Amino acid sequence: MASPLPLGQLHNNFRRTIAMIQETLHVLQTKRTVSALKLLHIAVAGAILRTVNSDGPTSKHTTSFLDELLGLASDPESDPVFKNPYLNMDGLYRSGETQQGILTYSPRLVSVDFQGSLGSMSSRGTLYSDGSFAPSDVVTWTGGVSTQAFEPHKKNLFLQSLYEEEQENCTTMSGTNSGKNDSRREIQDKDIVECLDNNVQFWTDYSKVHYHPQSLYELSGLWMDAQEFNNYGIGKDAFAEGFRGEEIRERLRFFVEECDHIQGFQFVVDDSGGFSAVAAEFLENIADEYTNTPVLLYAARGPGSHMSVRSRKQTIFKELHDAVSFSRLAPFSKLIVPIGLPFLSTSKASTFLHFKDEKPYHCSAVYAAALHSACIPFQMEPVGPSADSGDVSGAMDVNGLIQMLAGQARQNMVSILDVSMPAPALNGKQGGQSLLGSLQPLTPDVAKDVEDLQAVESMTVHGALGSGGHYALIPEVKDTVRAMYEQARTRPMFCHLSVARSPLPIPLPFPSIFGNHVGQRGELLGSPVSGSSSRGSLDVHSVPMAVRLRSSSAALPYIENRLGNLRRFGIERGAPGAELLRNWGFGKDELDDMGETLSKMVMTLDPHSQMSSDSD
Amino acid sequence: MSLRVLNPNAEVLNKSAALHMNINAAKGLQDVLKSNLGPKGTIKMLVGGAGDIKLTKDGNTLLKEMQIQNPTAIMIARTAVAQDDISGDGTTSTVIFIGELMKQSERYIDEGMHPRVLVDGFEIAKRATLQFLEKFKTPVVMGNEPDKEILKMVARTTLRTKLYEALADQLTDIVVNGVLCIWKPEEALDLFMVEIMHMRQKFDVDTRLVEGLVLDHGSRHPDMKRRAENCHILTCNVSLEYDKSEINAGFFYSNAEQREAMVAAERQQVDERVRKIIELKNKVCSGNDNNFVVINQKGIDPPSLDLLARAGIIALRRAKRRNMERLVLACGGEAVNSVDDLTPDSLGWAGLVYEHIIGEEKYTFVENVKNPHSCTILIKGPNDHTIAQIKDAVRDGLRAVKNTIEDEAVVLGAGAFEVAARQYLVNEVKKTVQGRAQLGVEAFADSLLVVPKTLAENSGLDTQDVIIALKGEHDRGNVVGLNQHSGDPIDPQMEGIFDNYSVKRQIINSGPVIASQLLLVDEVIRAGRNMRKPN
Repeated sequence: MASPLPLGQLHNNFRRTIAMIQETLHVLQTKRTVSALKLLHIAVAGAILRTVNSDGPTSKHTTSFLDELLGLASDPESDPVFKNPYLNMDGLYRSGETQQGILTYSPRLVSVDFQGSLGSMSSRGTLYSDGSFAPSDVVTWTGGVSTQAFEPHKKNLFLQSLYEEEQENCTTMSGTNSGKNDSRREIQDKDIVECLDNNVQFWTDYSKVHYHPQSLYELSGLWMDAQEFNNYGIGKDAFAEGFRGEEIRERLRFFVEECDHIQGFQFVVDDSGGFSAVAAEFLENIADEYTNTPVLLYAARGPGSHMSVRSRKQTIFKELHDAVSFSRLAPFSKLIVPIGLPFLSTSKASTFLHFKDEKPYHCSAVYAAALHSACIPFQMEPVGPSADSGDVSGAMDVNGLIQMLAGQARQNMVSILDVSMPAPALNGKQGGQSLLGSLQPLTPDVAKDVEDLQAVESMTVHGALGSGGHYALIPEVKDTVRAMYEQARTRPMFCHLSVARSPLPIPLPFPSIFGNHVGQRGELLGSPVSGSSSRGSLDVHSVPMAVRLRSSSAALPYIENRLGNLRRFGIERGAPGAELLRNWGFGKDELDDMGETLSKMVMTLDPHSQMSSDSD
Repeated sequence: MSLRVLNPNAEVLNKSAALHMNINAAKGLQDVLKSNLGPKGTIKMLVGGAGDIKLTKDGNTLLKEMQIQNPTAIMIARTAVAQDDISGDGTTSTVIFIGELMKQSERYIDEGMHPRVLVDGFEIAKRATLQFLEKFKTPVVMGNEPDKEILKMVARTTLRTKLYEALADQLTDIVVNGVLCIWKPEEALDLFMVEIMHMRQKFDVDTRLVEGLVLDHGSRHPDMKRRAENCHILTCNVSLEYDKSEINAGFFYSNAEQREAMVAAERQQVDERVRKIIELKNKVCSGNDNNFVVINQKGIDPPSLDLLARAGIIALRRAKRRNMERLVLACGGEAVNSVDDLTPDSLGWAGLVYEHIIGEEKYTFVENVKNPHSCTILIKGPNDHTIAQIKDAVRDGLRAVKNTIEDEAVVLGAGAFEVAARQYLVNEVKKTVQGRAQLGVEAFADSLLVVPKTLAENSGLDTQDVIIALKGEHDRGNVVGLNQHSGDPIDPQMEGIFDNYSVKRQIINSGPVIASQLLLVDEVIRAGRNMRKPN
């Protein structure tokens, strides 16, 4: 790397840090009573640790959003609605300092993935690297040096432009863009979007965040790719082998040690392959080490994992994997949110979206947007239950959410994620849909129109547009939602509502997935915009979002399917998959335990279920 | 072929093609690792797709970093990596031994010999070699005090294959002293009790052994002391943070005051625990200028840190789980899981505790302890590559010392064992074997020579000359190895070149097993992917 890079980063990070300081200062002013020392505590009090464990790119998008928000908040020319002192990123991000004294701001994240999955990004990130290295610098060995170079991954246009921006910033040291500069950028942006749409291979191709050297962990020495590493059995030993488990745990500890008060772990895993076994081992470790820290698990998978199934044998293989991985992951988390529809692009959740299922870059963007919105309540500054600020309301921590959804009377730990993207305007005239009706599940195998008197919901609405096309005020949103529920046919027992005024920003690397009914601020237009059929970050700058986590018996089919498959293919006498499960290293006792775990989960949702009773 | 009917996409390699695919893969892997072997090997620089650099001289690390795709190569690599897991060394030797067995076999198979016969010969030769190893090894008596000199020689032999001589010699003492620090007669050695810590600072020669512990974190309160002498150490696993998740009633308050009151009540429990620790501190530290350090495996939140700081206590949170054990071994006392029955007896002692900060990284040194049974090897180096190099070497060195203590034996190095075993097989064993299996024994015997051959090759010597010289000396009854500088035979005993007995045994054991499996492959069937594509 050339030497000017750290300087560029200095500037970038400087900007980020300023944004952060502004936020904390706002807190100070509104709270008035806190001392300077306390200030620090608040900054990290909301610490959430996001543990990613996936070969899917979903989680990586979410970090992009946060970064974008920070960028927008610090840009003096941007819409004031983004400047939201009550949304505190410090829970998800940490600030640090390199040995050279350069300030850094990076996500609190541990990511575990295949070796070689980072594309053109170095696993140690660029923030803390000690610059160039020449073979002549080998100081520990006086003998010869032989070099083996892998084919270098080229940085795509987007990454090139990021790099250039950093370089530019370090020469001009000014954050405002002149008009001339803008027009030049515009052309380039188009190329960037096109380049991303066609050529994304790795999640690092569209990530603009700097990562801490402790963040990105690669599983080396597996000698397998996603095609082979595709079932629970094969991943079972991957965590414990060699020093891997120890090293991953150490990395997590690094981030936890920094937290003054850790809210919980958000754990994203692609559970369609061997990584679900890695995750289960990791989660078991977390449950053991951080006993009282809640774990919120998102079991996400891309549409691709449903498509390739052909023969009966493969079907059994797949179903058994799903059943086993669900029943192994569930016991070590407090709340589990399955995400991943078999055909996302044609599902109701994608009514106003336009993209193809084959592209993980596109699908993961939808999931990431939903996850990002779902965790907005965790980032709100708690200001007490009665006193709401003008910009946010309904702050909740991870533990609060889990207690509400999984801890109340029924103790059901499987939640459904519904999303409305973009959320329709509150008056419901646009697009002919009401907010409530537009919420569609991203969780597979969900029963429709179930009346469940004990359902509990947590809804987050942010950036909703009110009458006249401006961002609705908090009370307006609250009243509308309340009114809608009163009119609805089925009503949950309890619904927690979190509202923020700032919408979801659409950063440049966001894929072009919006349909041609979506306007610049995510409003739904009456007639389609002429031009291309899909619109991306150049045309749509932000979208209003509504997401809902719901603990309801509508999730019953999801669990029942898994229980049924486990029994039919694995446990019953002469089951066709018994041999397979033995190969995966499961004895009869373990299988019975798994069956029991699942039937208990069924029982909590439906006490009269036929499936829950062991008929023998 | 019937399989074609079942699956038209399946690719089938017949017998000879399958065999050659296996042989070529084994040879290919051997070629990659060959230049690594010994104190004259080359260090490998791997440049990844992102332009990031990894430097390694360690076969194990190299294999793991390579993205191997050929199924045969993967099988060999797995065996070699398992070798490292079991005995801590010998990865490179395993790979080149398997490669050589395949190469030697190829000659005979091309002449029309059936692999089965070769494999039978391998089996006989393997058993004979293992028996020979028992006779050949040099026993080491451990008794109450291990022979430090022999441990040093073994460690030095390993370290010199990973680091330049001066540094290797410096680390030899560190490694041996480290193991002896945790060694207790009649007890199994747990190498985890030697902590390996690194700091990106200064130079490789500043690496040292800390008799005590270095933790990779510091106190999280500005008012806590950065340096303290005469410290009582409390090692504990007690949550000192307000844990909301312990209670279920998050939502049933109706106003802010009620909520505050509830939080306060819950907070009290935590404060109570902190108060008990402070009580103990006051008990042991009143009337003297001793200090008190709390090292906790669980979290400590800011209010608790505040209380502790005001009482003059240094507190560290989220210590490594293993450090709980190490601390007790280093400082004495015991790890407590509850503050209810705290006594001065549960405290450990350290003469000096201080913090060191580099950038955002903090280190806490717990030093000047009495009778330590745990210690830290503190690696220093100007960059990550240097640190990684030294770390690899230190791990190998520790394992070599441990193996020696457990084996109570060592084997003469520098290729001496391989040449001796080869002569034994050819001169004695071969005669006793009936029929064509003799050729298997011969192939095995010649394969053993790959170690001295490669050592010679890496030193830029003429392989033929070296082997002839070595064989000659052995036939005259002198057990000799290879002098890497001159190419002359030397006495490894005099030079202090010793290898681990268990490593050698493991190589002799696993090499022929994998080679036999690969040789006996009749047909390779694979549906879907093209296996002839280059990897």
